[in-house]
Amino acid sequence: MNLKRDISTSTFSGFALSASLILTFLNVLLNNIPTNITRVGDQFLKLNGSEGVANAVTTVVVYFRGFDTLGEIAVLFIASLGIGLMLDSNTRCNLKADSNFMLKTASQLLFPIIILFGIYVMVYGHLSPGGGFQGGVIIASGVLLLLISHKEFEVPHSVITLLETFAGISYVLIGLIGLVVLDKFLGNFLPHNISDMGMLLSGGIIPIIYIIVGIKVGSEMSMITQNLIKRSDDV
Amino acid sequence: MFEFFNQPEIIKIVVIIGSMTLFFVGLFGLLTQKHLIKIFMSVAIMESGLFLLFIGLIYKQNALAPILTDNQQGFINMNDPVPQAMILTAIVIGMAVLALGVSFAIEYHKLTGKTDIDEITSLRN
Amino acid sequence: MSSVLFIALPLLFGFATPILSRFGKNGVAFTSLAMQLFLLFLAFTLIGDKPYIEIISIAPPLGISFVLNNISLFFVTLFTFLMVAFSIYYLSYRKTDAYKNETKFFILLNMLLASAIGLVLSSDIFNVYVFFEIAGISAYILTAYKKTPSALEAGIKYLLTGSIASIFLVFAIILIYLNIGSLNLAIIAQDFETLPYNLKVFISILFLIGFGFKVEIFPLNFWVSDVYEGSTALVNSLFSGIVVKAYLFAFFHILYLFLPSGEFSTFLIYLGAISMIIAEIVALKQTNLKRVFAYSSLGQVALIFTAFALQSIDAIQGALFIILAHSIAKIVIFLALTTIEKNYKSLDINVLKELNAPFLRVVIVIAMLSLLGIPLFAGFIGKFLVLKAFAVEQIFPILAIIIIASLLEAVYYFKLIGFMFEKGDRKDKIKVDFTHKFIFSLLTFLILLVGITPFVISGFLLDSANVMLDSISYIAMLVKG
Repeated sequence: MNLKRDISTSTFSGFALSASLILTFLNVLLNNIPTNITRVGDQFLKLNGSEGVANAVTTVVVYFRGFDTLGEIAVLFIASLGIGLMLDSNTRCNLKADSNFMLKTASQLLFPIIILFGIYVMVYGHLSPGGGFQGGVIIASGVLLLLISHKEFEVPHSVITLLETFAGISYVLIGLIGLVVLDKFLGNFLPHNISDMGMLLSGGIIPIIYIIVGIKVGSEMSMITQNLIKRSDDV
Repeated sequence: MFEFFNQPEIIKIVVIIGSMTLFFVGLFGLLTQKHLIKIFMSVAIMESGLFLLFIGLIYKQNALAPILTDNQQGFINMNDPVPQAMILTAIVIGMAVLALGVSFAIEYHKLTGKTDIDEITSLRN
Repeated sequence: MSSVLFIALPLLFGFATPILSRFGKNGVAFTSLAMQLFLLFLAFTLIGDKPYIEIISIAPPLGISFVLNNISLFFVTLFTFLMVAFSIYYLSYRKTDAYKNETKFFILLNMLLASAIGLVLSSDIFNVYVFFEIAGISAYILTAYKKTPSALEAGIKYLLTGSIASIFLVFAIILIYLNIGSLNLAIIAQDFETLPYNLKVFISILFLIGFGFKVEIFPLNFWVSDVYEGSTALVNSLFSGIVVKAYLFAFFHILYLFLPSGEFSTFLIYLGAISMIIAEIVALKQTNLKRVFAYSSLGQVALIFTAFALQSIDAIQGALFIILAHSIAKIVIFLALTTIEKNYKSLDINVLKELNAPFLRVVIVIAMLSLLGIPLFAGFIGKFLVLKAFAVEQIFPILAIIIIASLLEAVYYFKLIGFMFEKGDRKDKIKVDFTHKFIFSLLTFLILLVGITPFVISGFLLDSANVMLDSISYIAMLVKG
């Protein structure tokens, strides 16, 4: 029948096209497996000691490629702004049933521990795995826990805006101070001796910037999750 | 048999095949799915495939994480920190754009009730 | 004065706006305009300086840096000037028709400006990706700002195509870092020829697809007309004036560095020519004014793409002239369409038959004549230089295609001009207030100035074209640090 022939030619041609696409990709990638050449990261590892920070990934994120982090903060800020613009509503969240007593108590018990853990990950980001982004997301997950277990919990809008604004302004201002003092935007103008490596106060501006990033990410993710949850009854 | 799979070249081939599978699953979803949220999920799957490819291929055998602990003297024989920083940035940016897209879809659904991408044709193409 | 202020100041303003809004909405508007005027003044004072590198945290070639040379300065001055003109227009537009949640609107405008300037200045490929995303996300929200169903539909389409573009761009950056080992444009340019041929072609195709969505080249420009129709005409002026030019420069800057011998230039030239013809043909049967001008933008951007792809001095100088003329003319047209829409509430093509606005008619006619390339208007010298470049290289099919596309554009432009001037009933007269008249007069004066006396700016543009082609000294400047 004609219908069967049309279906089989279109699926056959689709099959052939996709198979050739997959084979091209795999061919190029498998023939050019990267070897161990010296990359920029290895040179950064050698320079890392002069910044006095134990976690090389933190130095790369905050200092050597600090402008990318500034751009990423800008993207998150604009996205949070856009979500607030789109999902603007004054409705309170109308969960169908109130959570039971055990969930409420347990979440109230867990919330400060999660926040504390998030702050720990944020502040010790330059000494152990972690940092601003990771800590901020942990804080936001604690806020999410409270948002879905308590119907009437709301993150206060003015506090979040204040934290966000303060964090954003201070990041750019630290960069501009570096421009004035050291003639390099985001230069490291606080003392960063190599002998301090492993202590909490080491690395100059690096832990400060990462804490600022953590505050910004935590507040913005909390705002985004609250906006999405408040509209969860519409969909 | 497991020693055969532990050689660096074989590991890299397995990483390439696995992450490209994820990439093409996402690409297939992007081209064939009709629901808006499923299309956004396919984009997220494609991005995960790419990040997996990058991290898998940059890994050096028997090298340590780039964090200085008490037993080491210096930053020698460590993995590359730059791809980790790049992927951190790319994950956050990708997630922010996708969250924005989902909020557009939610508001569009509230206003018109449609989520099928074939039905979103009020603007003539 | 350093060039990082062009990016840091709008970012600072954007982050600080929620607190500035405590001082009232007017405070935010005037602060934004003051900051943009300061940036324009800064750009003018930097003209004539030697090219220099602005270091961020660590010297190149290890770290990020911003390169300020003649061509970057041209684009920075153009973008800040267009943004100042837009802000002055908006300042009096908002007295009657302000956008809701206006502080967010100003944040998005300034982020768009910062990211467009960042795309032009940056010399690091991952930094280009980050600015690519900032410009993209600001544009998506500006498209869907009014929250009507058509605006949201345009926003969703824009966001989906932009996400696919960024996936391909990330793939290309990943392959570059794995095989070359550096993210600095100069180091990559030095080592790019040593890659095996199939990998080079693969990375180039991924780049072309990634940037191709944003540079609006066929067949990846299906989203452009829908986005222009869904968003307001006010925002369309920024899209066609600032955003697409920044992406064009970033793409061709990287292309000239990575493939200096022009290996794929024939393919790109024909791709641009096909886009031009198809855009002009489809424009003939549109009935919405925003879509007509969207397709006209596509045609002009394809012409700029073809000219850049040729990689010769005359073509690049012509392309820069066309960029200057097109940006100013499109901003004039879309701002005039905003005034028309505010008064007549419709942008169907028949609204031109009922248009009663003598000042606006003259302004729109001057802008359209400039886009067509009539002598004595700004667009003429650009098109002339591009045609001369193709004639010198003896690529006659492209010459014919450009002329046919210009003729097609003339057909529907003269149809529109005929609608505006034909006899018949007209609606009530549009009153254009003083600030708007000032902005329109200034921009049309610039179009006429560049058209009648192009030697005012042609020397600067010739230097810029030479700098853009001169990859060797760019690489040497960055590698030395």
